[in-house]
Amino acid sequence: MGAISTIALRDLKSFFRSLTGPTVFFLFLLFIGIFFYGFIGKFMTMKQDAIQTGGGGATLEDLLQAIYANIHFILLFIIPAITMGTFAAEQKNHCDRLFKSAPVSSLQVVLGKYFACLGLMTMVLIASLIYPLFLAYYGNPDIGVIFGGFLGLFLLIASQLAFGVWVSSMTSNQLIAFIFTMSGLFLLLVLNFMVPDLTSANEAQEALKYIATTDHLHSFLKGTIQVKDLTYFLLFTIIFLFFSNVSLDSQRWR
Amino acid sequence: MIEVTGLCKNFGSVKALDNVSFKVEQGQIVGFLGSNGAGKTTTMDILTGCLGADQGDAKISGFDITENPIEAKRRLGYLPDEPPLHLEMQVDDYITYAAKLNQVPSSKIKNQVQKIIDRLDLGSVRSRLIGNLSKGFKQRVGLAQALVHDPEVLILDEPTEGLDPKQIAEIRTLIRELSGDHTILLSSHILSEVENTCDNLVIINSGKIVAQGTYNDIVGQKNSGPIYELTVEENAHKLADELEKFSGMGESTAMSGTSIRLVLGNNVNKSILDEVAKTTLDGGYGLRGLEFKPQSLEQVFFNLTKS
Repeated sequence: MGAISTIALRDLKSFFRSLTGPTVFFLFLLFIGIFFYGFIGKFMTMKQDAIQTGGGGATLEDLLQAIYANIHFILLFIIPAITMGTFAAEQKNHCDRLFKSAPVSSLQVVLGKYFACLGLMTMVLIASLIYPLFLAYYGNPDIGVIFGGFLGLFLLIASQLAFGVWVSSMTSNQLIAFIFTMSGLFLLLVLNFMVPDLTSANEAQEALKYIATTDHLHSFLKGTIQVKDLTYFLLFTIIFLFFSNVSLDSQRWR
Repeated sequence: MIEVTGLCKNFGSVKALDNVSFKVEQGQIVGFLGSNGAGKTTTMDILTGCLGADQGDAKISGFDITENPIEAKRRLGYLPDEPPLHLEMQVDDYITYAAKLNQVPSSKIKNQVQKIIDRLDLGSVRSRLIGNLSKGFKQRVGLAQALVHDPEVLILDEPTEGLDPKQIAEIRTLIRELSGDHTILLSSHILSEVENTCDNLVIINSGKIVAQGTYNDIVGQKNSGPIYELTVEENAHKLADELEKFSGMGESTAMSGTSIRLVLGNNVNKSILDEVAKTTLDGGYGLRGLEFKPQSLEQVFFNLTKS
């Protein structure tokens, strides 16, 4: 555990010694702010329309869901920016020999680097709580939806980071790591919509839909926490951390 | 302390190491010599667990680096050819990080870091960013990282590469001070460095060990006989061919139009030199000098690695 926290703390600090940490904070909060502002405007208009035309109109929960779903898209750029350097940069500047010749296992290194990325994104997520807090202050949103949405986002980010760390462990080129991570995450995002075009077999459609992230995130955004969605994100994370460990180990033989 | 047996490593079709075996006893400094691309860094990367060997064993203090990597690495300090520095960190933080990574007990970390900073004279730059330091200081920070956990075995890959003469002298003094407490394997292609610093030498060429032993062993072993330089007025090539035919002449090579390098065979009667002089004079080549050339490690190295 000591080695994991040593590596994680160093990498986390290193995010803030470079531009990565501040840039991620700035962009993430900026985009959430823009979405929040835009959707609040839309929400107000819909409420006004509902009063004139009758019906309930949009709820605060609908508003939060719209914001969270858009964050999913922004993560396509943020996650690769964080993970691209984890192993690729160190391999490029030969810093990897520091941990490769130290008495630590490759799993400890992978977990240390992964927790550093997760630490950064957790800090960003906590900072972005300011927007739901606004809603809670001025309106009366369902706390369950807010909590469910954040838990879903956290699990989504955790799984995406594991994927990014794996890609980074396979190359010494940060740009390639960025592009491949982004493409992979994009594929997982749109897989749900592509399924009918890919296959007509019911079982295959179900299987592909299970692999896509969208549906799993959606049930969290509705405020419901289901075991199958929790299992999906946890399995996804564990599998790609395992792959990263294998990839790092295999570097010795390449 | 360091034991390497039958190491082989291929990179695709390139044979980087071919049955490399050597041993470094406790407290010794061994110089690992070879030209660029000879396999020094590959051997050291295998020894430190950064790279896997296709065949063979590498042991550090009795622990196999593949079978028992954690125990082996605990006893090991490694300064690679490019120091593994996190340029965005401060010197102090970096050395502390290296200490933690190498499992120095937390109660001792502060002391160890201070000790190594004093020893390597890094006090004046301890709170500066590594990226802003000069090459010499960066090299010393890299050395600090390898030494901070006080390892039994030190593996240094070209530690004086790119340093100025003053810094080279300082690092050499430091390495000599470290011997005794530490077992050191030091790679270099600067011959004077290993000549002055090391107890034993291992010479590698194209992935094969071509000589090993003490300095005197190696220089003596390759010293097939005394070497002379013969200077003439003209036609050195023709004369060299003529001298080659002498019985007892090891080698006669024209170095230029006026100079010939003569290597006499072992135990050859020195009167052969009179014959050489006579042939030169009789042939009208114009004898200008016949000088004894003491063999240096440099020459041995060139001879061993010229293939």
